[in-house]
Amino acid sequence: MLVNVLFYGFAVLAVLGAVGLILFRHPMNGAMSFIVTLISLAGLYALLSAKLIFALQLIVYAGAIMSLIVFIIMFLNIQAEDLPREEMKLVNILVGVVLVSPVALFLGKIVNSLPNITADLVGNDFGGVKPVGLVLYRDWLVPFEIVSILLLVSLVGAVVLAGKRGTGK
Amino acid sequence: MIHNYLFLSSILFCLGTVGVISRRNVFTVFMSIELMLNAANLAFIAFSRVHESMDGHVLAMMVMAVAAAEAALALAVVILLHKHKGKLDTNVFSLLKG
Amino acid sequence: MEQSATYLGMIPLFPLLGAVVIGLLHVFTCNRKRLPEKFYGLLACVGPVLSFVLALKVFLALKALPPESRFLTHNAFTWFSVGDLHINMGFLADPLSCLMLLFVTLIGTLIHVYSIGYMGGDKNYGKFFAYMNLFLGSMLVLVLGDGPVVMFVGWEGVGLCSYLLISYYSEDRDNVLAGNKAFIVNRIGDLGFVLGMAFLFWAVGAQGFDYLSLKANVHMMEPAIALTVCLLLFVGATGKSAQIPLYVWLPDAMAGPTPVSALIHAATMVTAGVYMVARFSFLYAHVELAGTIVAWVGILTALLAAIFGMFQNDIKKILAYSTVSQLGYMFAGVGVAAYSAGIFHVFTHAFFKALLFLGAGSVIYALHHEQNIWKMGGLKAKMPKTYLTMVIGALALAGCPPFSGFFSKDEILYSALATGHWGIWLIGVLVAGMTAYYTFRMIFVVFHGQPRDHHAYDHAQESPAVMTVPLIILAVGAVFAGFLNFPGVLTISHWLEPSLTEHHHSSALLQVIAIVTSIAAFAVGLKIAYGKFGQGAQEPAFKGFADFAYNKFYVDELYNAVFVQPYKAIGTAIWKSIEPNVTDSPVKGAARLYMVLGTAFKALQVGYVRVYAIYMVVGLSLMSLFLSQSLN
Repeated sequence: MLVNVLFYGFAVLAVLGAVGLILFRHPMNGAMSFIVTLISLAGLYALLSAKLIFALQLIVYAGAIMSLIVFIIMFLNIQAEDLPREEMKLVNILVGVVLVSPVALFLGKIVNSLPNITADLVGNDFGGVKPVGLVLYRDWLVPFEIVSILLLVSLVGAVVLAGKRGTGK
Repeated sequence: MIHNYLFLSSILFCLGTVGVISRRNVFTVFMSIELMLNAANLAFIAFSRVHESMDGHVLAMMVMAVAAAEAALALAVVILLHKHKGKLDTNVFSLLKG
Repeated sequence: MEQSATYLGMIPLFPLLGAVVIGLLHVFTCNRKRLPEKFYGLLACVGPVLSFVLALKVFLALKALPPESRFLTHNAFTWFSVGDLHINMGFLADPLSCLMLLFVTLIGTLIHVYSIGYMGGDKNYGKFFAYMNLFLGSMLVLVLGDGPVVMFVGWEGVGLCSYLLISYYSEDRDNVLAGNKAFIVNRIGDLGFVLGMAFLFWAVGAQGFDYLSLKANVHMMEPAIALTVCLLLFVGATGKSAQIPLYVWLPDAMAGPTPVSALIHAATMVTAGVYMVARFSFLYAHVELAGTIVAWVGILTALLAAIFGMFQNDIKKILAYSTVSQLGYMFAGVGVAAYSAGIFHVFTHAFFKALLFLGAGSVIYALHHEQNIWKMGGLKAKMPKTYLTMVIGALALAGCPPFSGFFSKDEILYSALATGHWGIWLIGVLVAGMTAYYTFRMIFVVFHGQPRDHHAYDHAQESPAVMTVPLIILAVGAVFAGFLNFPGVLTISHWLEPSLTEHHHSSALLQVIAIVTSIAAFAVGLKIAYGKFGQGAQEPAFKGFADFAYNKFYVDELYNAVFVQPYKAIGTAIWKSIEPNVTDSPVKGAARLYMVLGTAFKALQVGYVRVYAIYMVVGLSLMSLFLSQSLN
């Protein structure tokens, strides 16, 4: 019962946040509503007994990535006139919805065709740090290492791209 | 029972797609992409819960790591674009026009 | 029955090789240091001489065989083999081709030697001899071919060489036009020839398309088909041998150098048509109507050309029309089924006509390329050898006994009488008189009387030995060749018997009538000519019929108006209106279509990445639509 309330609450918030993201003109407003979505998603993860991921979502996504984005938005000192004049924003969005609706319907159909599975009760250990860590470092070691390299690469790339060059450009 | 989560995941994914193709603001486009990634994450976690395996969690972590890396680079590019043209409109950059 | 003789293949090979070698030498040296003329001349005569030696060998080999089996064959290689049609590059030496071989190589050699002197100083010396050798090689292929297809190869080859040699002095546009005319008119005849060959193959060719097989199978042909084949093949002959209606190229062909006129347009190429009819004697004998048509066309051509010849002022044109006229005689001969008589006239005509042309060439050379007889005169004192040999040639041509022309012409007229063709005989006698008239008109005006152009006369002198010796040799042939087929003894006719299908008639009365009337015609023609021109005469102004005949009855203009101009107009119309719209527009339209498509697709490349993302999503949607269907 509480679970359902929580679920629907978080779900509605997530959707509202997403809608807000795509409707707001100023990116700052969009970022804020996106943060709402992210936090609701974190809640949903918690409902799914994914403790570590819940934490990581809040720390990494809502905490680090979004703060980076907000920082950059503020860094660029965007005034109202800098923003693109999107007169036909709603029309575009409507067209977008029309284009995407087949995909949505398809996905819906797939989900409907899945068998009715009930989630069993899981123990306390499910989704905790230790089990995830064990799986990560045993079965997924190589992808883990590769992702580390990926992060290194992007770090270097970001520095190269945004750093000063000679006379600047 | 998981279906609800999956429906939500689909809705968020489609909303993210709409945002990518309809908006011209670079930040909005970028954040819509992140939204799509998050929708995928939700699907992973939901299925992982059903199958009672940690693999979904691990994959979700990978996705987050990739999203972080991508965010760094994308924002660096945004800064460069802003330096170049002074505008945040994706329509301004049309050198690919054939 | 037939024996194999490998050296047959070498007979045409030597001149052809000579042509290639000389041609290459000329091409590689003509812009740099020129090779000496003597070198080319010597090289050029090697081929013909070797061919003549081999021809003698063939003759001796055939003589050694019994008459029924006088065949030598040689199959060089299989040319192609498609369905029922198996064509070998094969050669056949039988009495007929042996005779042709002998005089073609002999006269060819003599004319090559003559040309060494005549063409001296010409800047394309090597090219000339290359073409001459090529011609001789093609003519030998024509004569030695063992079937109509190989003959046609030679046929086309000599047509090509005729064109090349007529337009030899190519700086003058008129010469090139004359060469074009010769080739094109020839081609029209060739169409008939090819159609004839096709019909022949269709009718009986499946069992073998060479002369011996065809001869064995000819009785299987239906008369109508046989008649069609005969007439179509004869159309080819009218083109090659200048009969009505395709004779118009031969007078224009005089634009070529005189040795060319002598060799090609008097002695050898133009007789190919007669040779062809004689070769197909088994076919023509089968269908009497075809022979009659051939004979009438021939004799009418003889008459027409003789009329023209009586009024010409250019020495070479007189001889050209004379050639057409004599060819008419030959066709009259083979038409009335006296094949050996026709071939005998080919044989003697080769000697005296080549002699007359070479003599005319000698005169032209001495007078520095003056060809108008009204600018000549009194040359007999200055050029005795030329004069003497030309008189011999003229007497032979006019049919004066005991020269060769008398015997061969008489044989034809006698055959016409003996087979009941009175009309042909009568016209033949008339033409004989006209022949004597125009021949001696030429001789009297050129050599007798007072010189009309003193400047040219003073510079004239006898030609060098390299030119007069062939004249003398040919004169000997013109005198004595006739005795090879003396009436009654008929050596050549008997020699040719295994090759030809003919009956021999004998009627002493008709023989006497023919002889008497021939001699009478000759005497009358000579007398009239002597009366008008013997004591010196001036150029007459032509009026009325004479003027009409001088202009060749305006036949060329008629052909131009009826055939050439409309054809040209059609061609121009097609070029101007049909081609741009019908043939060019689909091609251009296709190109334009692709351009339009390209421009249309270019509109998709907007340059906005967002739009490209939209394309991706559209694709995704379509795919998911499709997959949703299958998910049902």
